[in-house]
Amino acid sequence: MDEIAPWEQFVRGTALHHFVYLNEPWLWPTCEIIHYLGLSLLLGTVGLFDLRVLGIAKGIPPATIHRLVPWGVGGYILNVLTGILFFSGHPDQYVYNNAGRLKALLMAIAGINILVFYGSTAFPEMKKLPAGADAPMRIKVIAGTSLAIWVGVLICGRMLTWYRPPFFH
Amino acid sequence: MDPFLAFLEGSDLSMWIRGDSMLAFPTIITLHTICMGFLAGASSAIDLRILGAAPGIPLASLRPFYPLMWLAFAINAVTGVLMVIGYPTKQLTNPLFYIKLFLVALGVWLVYRIGREVLRATESGEKTMTAETKWLAAASLAGWVSLIIAGRLLEYTHRWELLGIPALT
Repeated sequence: MDEIAPWEQFVRGTALHHFVYLNEPWLWPTCEIIHYLGLSLLLGTVGLFDLRVLGIAKGIPPATIHRLVPWGVGGYILNVLTGILFFSGHPDQYVYNNAGRLKALLMAIAGINILVFYGSTAFPEMKKLPAGADAPMRIKVIAGTSLAIWVGVLICGRMLTWYRPPFFH
Repeated sequence: MDPFLAFLEGSDLSMWIRGDSMLAFPTIITLHTICMGFLAGASSAIDLRILGAAPGIPLASLRPFYPLMWLAFAINAVTGVLMVIGYPTKQLTNPLFYIKLFLVALGVWLVYRIGREVLRATESGEKTMTAETKWLAAASLAGWVSLIIAGRLLEYTHRWELLGIPALT
Protein backbone atom coordinates (compact mmCIF):
# COMPACT_ATOMS: atom_id res chain seq x y z
CA MET A 1 0.00 0.00 0.00
CA ASP A 2 1.53 3.28 -1.08
CA GLU A 3 -0.58 5.86 0.64
CA ILE A 4 -3.40 5.85 3.15
CA ALA A 5 -6.75 6.95 1.73
CA PRO A 6 -8.29 10.14 3.23
CA TRP A 7 -11.18 8.25 4.88
CA GLU A 8 -8.70 5.94 6.60
CA GLN A 9 -6.55 8.87 7.71
CA PHE A 10 -9.70 10.36 9.21
CA VAL A 11 -10.58 7.15 11.11
CA ARG A 12 -7.00 6.80 12.33
CA GLY A 13 -7.09 10.40 13.56
CA THR A 14 -10.09 9.88 15.86
CA ALA A 15 -9.80 9.60 19.63
CA LEU A 16 -11.66 6.28 19.41
CA HIS A 17 -8.94 4.83 17.15
CA HIS A 18 -6.25 5.80 19.66
CA PHE A 19 -8.26 4.40 22.55
CA VAL A 20 -8.63 1.03 20.78
CA TYR A 21 -5.02 1.06 19.61
CA LEU A 22 -3.60 1.74 23.08
CA ASN A 23 -5.86 -0.75 24.88
CA GLU A 24 -5.95 -3.48 22.27
CA PRO A 25 -4.46 -6.36 24.36
CA TRP A 26 -7.41 -6.42 26.78
CA LEU A 27 -10.02 -4.46 24.81
CA TRP A 28 -10.04 -6.60 21.67
CA PRO A 29 -10.65 -9.98 23.42
CA THR A 30 -13.27 -8.33 25.66
CA CYS A 31 -15.10 -6.90 22.64
CA GLU A 32 -14.94 -10.25 20.84
CA ILE A 33 -16.53 -11.96 23.84
CA ILE A 34 -19.33 -9.35 23.87
CA HIS A 35 -19.69 -9.67 20.07
CA TYR A 36 -20.21 -13.45 20.40
CA LEU A 37 -22.69 -13.05 23.26
CA GLY A 38 -24.59 -10.54 21.14
CA LEU A 39 -24.68 -12.74 18.06
CA SER A 40 -25.97 -15.67 20.13
CA LEU A 41 -28.72 -13.53 21.59
CA LEU A 42 -29.69 -12.29 18.11
CA LEU A 43 -29.57 -15.71 16.46
CA GLY A 44 -31.38 -17.39 19.37
CA THR A 45 -34.31 -14.99 19.66
CA VAL A 46 -34.85 -13.62 16.15
CA GLY A 47 -33.91 -17.06 14.78
CA LEU A 48 -36.62 -18.82 16.83
CA PHE A 49 -39.20 -16.24 15.73
CA ASP A 50 -38.18 -16.73 12.07
CA LEU A 51 -38.37 -20.51 12.43
CA ARG A 52 -41.87 -20.28 13.94
CA VAL A 53 -43.06 -18.11 11.03
CA LEU A 54 -41.49 -20.61 8.63
CA GLY A 55 -43.59 -23.37 10.18
CA ILE A 56 -41.53 -25.01 12.95
CA ALA A 57 -43.25 -25.07 16.37
CA LYS A 58 -46.60 -23.90 14.99
CA GLY A 59 -48.14 -24.32 18.44
CA ILE A 60 -46.63 -20.95 19.36
CA PRO A 61 -48.73 -17.89 18.45
CA PRO A 62 -46.15 -15.78 16.50
CA ALA A 63 -46.97 -12.60 18.46
CA THR A 64 -45.96 -14.28 21.73
CA ILE A 65 -42.53 -15.41 20.50
CA HIS A 66 -42.06 -12.00 18.88
CA ARG A 67 -41.80 -10.67 22.43
CA LEU A 68 -38.31 -12.22 22.54
CA VAL A 69 -37.18 -10.01 19.63
CA PRO A 70 -36.24 -7.01 21.87
CA TRP A 71 -33.60 -9.31 23.44
CA GLY A 72 -32.22 -9.89 19.96
CA VAL A 73 -32.22 -6.14 19.32
CA GLY A 74 -30.20 -5.80 22.53
CA GLY A 75 -27.72 -8.34 21.16
CA TYR A 76 -27.59 -6.45 17.88
CA ILE A 77 -26.83 -3.16 19.68
CA LEU A 78 -23.96 -4.86 21.57
CA ASN A 79 -22.61 -6.02 18.22
CA VAL A 80 -22.89 -2.62 16.57
CA LEU A 81 -21.04 -0.98 19.48
CA THR A 82 -18.25 -3.60 19.54
CA GLY A 83 -18.19 -3.54 15.73
CA ILE A 84 -17.56 0.23 15.79
CA LEU A 85 -14.60 -0.37 18.14
CA PHE A 86 -13.17 -3.09 15.85
CA PHE A 87 -13.55 -0.84 12.82
CA SER A 88 -11.99 2.16 14.55
CA GLY A 89 -9.00 0.07 15.59
CA HIS A 90 -8.18 -1.49 12.21
CA PRO A 91 -10.42 0.07 9.53
CA ASP A 92 -8.33 -1.21 6.59
CA GLN A 93 -8.78 -4.88 7.49
CA TYR A 94 -12.56 -4.55 7.04
CA VAL A 95 -12.80 -2.20 4.06
CA TYR A 96 -10.12 -3.79 1.87
CA ASN A 97 -11.68 -7.17 2.51
CA ASN A 98 -14.30 -8.86 0.32
CA ALA A 99 -15.76 -10.68 3.33
CA GLY A 100 -16.09 -7.34 5.13
CA ARG A 101 -17.75 -5.72 2.11
CA LEU A 102 -20.20 -8.60 1.70
CA LYS A 103 -20.96 -8.43 5.42
CA ALA A 104 -21.84 -4.72 5.10
CA LEU A 105 -24.02 -5.45 2.07
CA LEU A 106 -25.86 -8.26 3.86
CA MET A 107 -26.46 -6.02 6.88
CA ALA A 108 -27.94 -3.37 4.59
CA ILE A 109 -30.28 -6.00 3.09
CA ALA A 110 -31.20 -7.11 6.63
CA GLY A 111 -32.09 -3.49 7.39
CA ILE A 112 -34.32 -3.23 4.32
CA ASN A 113 -35.94 -6.55 5.25
CA ILE A 114 -36.70 -5.21 8.74
CA LEU A 115 -38.20 -2.01 7.26
CA VAL A 116 -40.37 -4.09 4.92
CA PHE A 117 -41.56 -6.27 7.80
CA TYR A 118 -42.44 -3.53 10.28
CA GLY A 119 -43.41 -0.92 7.69
CA SER A 120 -45.89 -3.05 5.76
CA THR A 121 -49.06 -4.88 6.71
CA ALA A 122 -46.92 -8.01 7.33
CA PHE A 123 -46.36 -7.07 11.00
CA PRO A 124 -50.01 -6.51 12.03
CA GLU A 125 -50.96 -9.57 9.98
CA MET A 126 -48.37 -11.67 11.83
CA LYS A 127 -49.70 -10.44 15.19
CA LYS A 128 -53.17 -11.78 14.37
CA LEU A 129 -51.95 -15.33 13.61
CA PRO A 130 -53.20 -17.76 16.27
CA ALA A 131 -51.46 -20.90 17.53
CA GLY A 132 -51.34 -23.56 14.84
CA ALA A 133 -51.76 -21.09 11.97
CA ASP A 134 -49.59 -21.25 8.87
CA ALA A 135 -48.11 -17.84 8.05
CA PRO A 136 -48.86 -16.30 4.60
CA MET A 137 -46.08 -16.87 2.05
CA ARG A 138 -45.17 -13.15 2.05
CA ILE A 139 -44.33 -13.21 5.76
CA LYS A 140 -42.49 -16.51 5.36
CA VAL A 141 -40.26 -14.94 2.69
CA ILE A 142 -39.39 -12.09 5.09
CA ALA A 143 -38.61 -14.57 7.92
CA GLY A 144 -36.57 -16.81 5.62
CA THR A 145 -34.62 -13.79 4.36
CA SER A 146 -33.92 -12.70 7.94
CA LEU A 147 -32.64 -16.14 8.96
CA ALA A 148 -30.47 -16.56 5.84
CA ILE A 149 -29.05 -13.03 6.09
CA TRP A 150 -28.03 -13.29 9.76
CA VAL A 151 -26.34 -16.65 9.15
CA GLY A 152 -24.65 -15.04 6.12
CA VAL A 153 -23.47 -12.10 8.24
CA LEU A 154 -21.97 -14.57 10.73
CA ILE A 155 -20.22 -16.50 7.94
CA CYS A 156 -18.76 -13.27 6.52
CA GLY A 157 -17.61 -12.26 10.00
CA ARG A 158 -15.73 -15.51 10.39
CA MET A 159 -14.30 -15.25 6.88
CA LEU A 160 -12.77 -11.79 7.55
CA THR A 161 -9.60 -13.51 8.78
CA TRP A 162 -9.00 -15.31 5.49
CA TYR A 163 -9.74 -12.36 3.22
CA ARG A 164 -7.61 -9.79 5.01
CA PRO A 165 -5.66 -7.48 2.72
CA PRO A 166 -2.03 -8.60 2.29
CA PHE A 167 -0.67 -5.36 3.76
CA PHE A 168 -2.56 -5.83 7.02
CA HIS A 169 -0.30 -6.56 9.98
CA MET B 1 6.68 -33.37 23.02
CA ASP B 2 4.05 -35.87 24.08
CA PRO B 3 4.07 -38.82 21.62
CA PHE B 4 0.27 -38.89 21.38
CA LEU B 5 0.10 -35.19 20.53
CA ALA B 6 2.93 -35.67 18.02
CA PHE B 7 1.03 -38.57 16.45
CA LEU B 8 -2.17 -36.51 16.15
CA GLU B 9 -0.35 -33.47 14.83
CA GLY B 10 1.49 -35.51 12.20
CA SER B 11 -1.62 -37.29 10.89
CA ASP B 12 -2.91 -36.57 7.39
CA LEU B 13 -6.25 -35.38 8.80
CA SER B 14 -4.55 -32.93 11.16
CA MET B 15 -2.37 -31.55 8.39
CA TRP B 16 -5.38 -31.19 6.09
CA ILE B 17 -7.30 -29.28 8.78
CA ARG B 18 -4.35 -26.90 9.29
CA GLY B 19 -3.75 -26.63 5.55
CA ASP B 20 -4.76 -24.10 2.93
CA SER B 21 -8.16 -25.57 1.98
CA MET B 22 -11.06 -23.22 2.65
CA LEU B 23 -13.12 -26.38 3.27
CA ALA B 24 -10.84 -27.26 6.18
CA PHE B 25 -10.33 -24.98 9.20
CA PRO B 26 -12.28 -21.93 7.91
CA THR B 27 -15.40 -24.01 7.19
CA ILE B 28 -15.07 -26.06 10.38
CA ILE B 29 -14.80 -23.02 12.67
CA THR B 30 -17.61 -21.21 10.83
CA LEU B 31 -19.98 -24.17 11.31
CA HIS B 32 -18.87 -24.30 14.97
CA THR B 33 -19.75 -20.61 15.38
CA ILE B 34 -23.15 -20.82 13.64
CA CYS B 35 -24.22 -23.79 15.75
CA MET B 36 -22.80 -22.20 18.91
CA GLY B 37 -24.88 -19.10 18.22
CA PHE B 38 -28.02 -21.12 17.57
CA LEU B 39 -27.62 -23.58 20.47
CA ALA B 40 -26.54 -21.04 23.10
CA GLY B 41 -29.01 -18.48 21.73
CA ALA B 42 -32.07 -20.73 21.48
CA SER B 43 -31.35 -22.32 24.86
CA SER B 44 -30.96 -18.84 26.40
CA ALA B 45 -34.22 -17.71 24.79
CA ILE B 46 -36.00 -20.67 26.43
CA ASP B 47 -34.25 -19.82 29.74
CA LEU B 48 -35.51 -16.23 29.45
CA ARG B 49 -39.04 -17.54 28.84
CA ILE B 50 -38.81 -19.72 31.96
CA LEU B 51 -37.54 -16.73 33.95
CA GLY B 52 -40.53 -14.64 32.88
CA ALA B 53 -39.82 -13.05 29.47
CA ALA B 54 -42.46 -13.45 26.74
CA PRO B 55 -44.89 -15.18 29.15
CA GLY B 56 -47.42 -15.79 26.36
CA ILE B 57 -45.31 -18.52 24.75
CA PRO B 58 -46.88 -21.89 25.67
CA LEU B 59 -43.91 -23.82 27.11
CA ALA B 60 -44.86 -27.18 25.66
CA SER B 61 -45.02 -25.64 22.19
CA LEU B 62 -41.26 -24.97 22.31
CA ARG B 63 -40.72 -28.74 21.95
CA PRO B 64 -40.04 -28.75 18.15
CA PHE B 65 -36.96 -26.56 18.65
CA TYR B 66 -35.19 -29.26 20.67
CA PRO B 67 -34.26 -31.54 17.73
CA LEU B 68 -32.66 -28.49 16.04
CA MET B 69 -30.71 -27.68 19.20
CA TRP B 70 -29.48 -31.28 19.44
CA LEU B 71 -28.47 -31.16 15.78
CA ALA B 72 -26.48 -27.97 16.48
CA PHE B 73 -24.80 -29.71 19.41
CA ALA B 74 -23.94 -32.77 17.27
CA ILE B 75 -22.34 -30.53 14.61
CA ASN B 76 -20.37 -28.73 17.31
CA ALA B 77 -19.16 -31.97 18.84
CA VAL B 78 -17.86 -33.11 15.43
CA THR B 79 -16.36 -29.74 14.43
CA GLY B 80 -14.89 -29.37 17.94
CA VAL B 81 -13.13 -32.75 17.70
CA LEU B 82 -11.84 -31.84 14.23
CA MET B 83 -10.34 -28.59 15.56
CA VAL B 84 -8.64 -30.51 18.40
CA ILE B 85 -7.20 -32.91 15.79
CA GLY B 86 -5.98 -29.89 13.80
CA TYR B 87 -4.29 -28.20 16.76
CA PRO B 88 -3.93 -30.88 19.49
CA THR B 89 -1.04 -29.32 21.41
CA LYS B 90 -2.56 -25.85 21.34
CA GLN B 91 -5.84 -27.14 22.78
CA LEU B 92 -4.91 -30.06 25.01
CA THR B 93 -2.07 -28.33 26.88
CA ASN B 94 -4.21 -25.30 27.74
CA PRO B 95 -6.03 -25.64 31.11
CA LEU B 96 -8.74 -23.35 29.74
CA PHE B 97 -9.65 -26.05 27.20
CA TYR B 98 -10.70 -28.38 30.02
CA ILE B 99 -12.71 -25.62 31.66
CA LYS B 100 -14.48 -25.11 28.33
CA LEU B 101 -15.10 -28.86 28.04
CA PHE B 102 -16.64 -28.88 31.52
CA LEU B 103 -18.86 -25.91 30.57
CA VAL B 104 -19.99 -27.74 27.41
CA ALA B 105 -20.98 -30.75 29.53
CA LEU B 106 -22.81 -28.47 31.98
CA GLY B 107 -24.60 -26.57 29.20
CA VAL B 108 -25.72 -29.72 27.42
CA TRP B 109 -26.87 -31.36 30.66
CA LEU B 110 -28.93 -28.25 31.43
CA VAL B 111 -30.48 -28.30 27.92
CA TYR B 112 -31.51 -31.89 28.62
CA ARG B 113 -32.85 -31.14 32.14
CA ILE B 114 -34.73 -27.99 31.09
CA GLY B 115 -35.98 -29.83 28.00
CA ARG B 116 -37.56 -32.45 30.24
CA GLU B 117 -39.38 -29.73 32.19
CA VAL B 118 -40.54 -28.15 28.93
CA LEU B 119 -41.71 -31.51 27.60
CA ARG B 120 -43.57 -32.15 30.83
CA ALA B 121 -45.34 -28.79 30.67
CA THR B 122 -48.96 -28.90 29.64
CA GLU B 123 -51.18 -26.13 28.38
CA SER B 124 -51.29 -24.69 31.89
CA GLY B 125 -47.50 -24.92 31.87
CA GLU B 126 -46.91 -22.29 34.50
CA LYS B 127 -47.52 -24.75 37.32
CA THR B 128 -44.50 -26.83 36.38
CA MET B 129 -42.21 -23.78 36.54
CA THR B 130 -40.98 -24.48 40.02
CA ALA B 131 -38.23 -22.51 41.73
CA GLU B 132 -35.92 -25.38 40.81
CA THR B 133 -36.63 -24.98 37.08
CA LYS B 134 -35.96 -21.26 37.36
CA TRP B 135 -32.61 -21.97 39.02
CA LEU B 136 -31.78 -24.37 36.19
CA ALA B 137 -32.63 -21.66 33.65
CA ALA B 138 -30.46 -19.10 35.47
CA ALA B 139 -27.59 -21.62 35.65
CA SER B 140 -28.01 -22.33 31.94
CA LEU B 141 -27.73 -18.60 31.08
CA ALA B 142 -24.63 -18.23 33.26
CA GLY B 143 -23.21 -21.40 31.72
CA TRP B 144 -23.55 -20.16 28.13
CA VAL B 145 -21.98 -16.81 28.98
CA SER B 146 -19.04 -18.59 30.68
CA LEU B 147 -18.69 -21.02 27.79
CA ILE B 148 -18.51 -18.23 25.21
CA ILE B 149 -15.94 -16.36 27.34
CA ALA B 150 -13.84 -19.54 27.62
CA GLY B 151 -14.17 -20.31 23.90
CA ARG B 152 -13.04 -16.85 22.84
CA LEU B 153 -10.19 -16.75 25.36
CA LEU B 154 -8.82 -20.09 24.08
CA GLU B 155 -7.64 -18.19 21.03
CA TYR B 156 -5.96 -15.45 23.06
CA THR B 157 -4.46 -17.54 25.86
CA HIS B 158 -2.64 -19.48 23.14
CA ARG B 159 -1.26 -16.24 21.75
CA TRP B 160 -0.26 -15.11 25.25
CA GLU B 161 1.41 -18.49 25.83
CA LEU B 162 3.51 -17.90 22.72
CA LEU B 163 4.56 -14.58 24.28
CA GLY B 164 5.62 -16.41 27.44
CA ILE B 165 2.62 -15.29 29.49
CA PRO B 166 1.06 -18.26 31.33
CA ALA B 167 -2.43 -19.14 30.07
CA LEU B 168 -3.96 -18.94 33.51
CA THR B 169 -2.49 -16.82 36.21
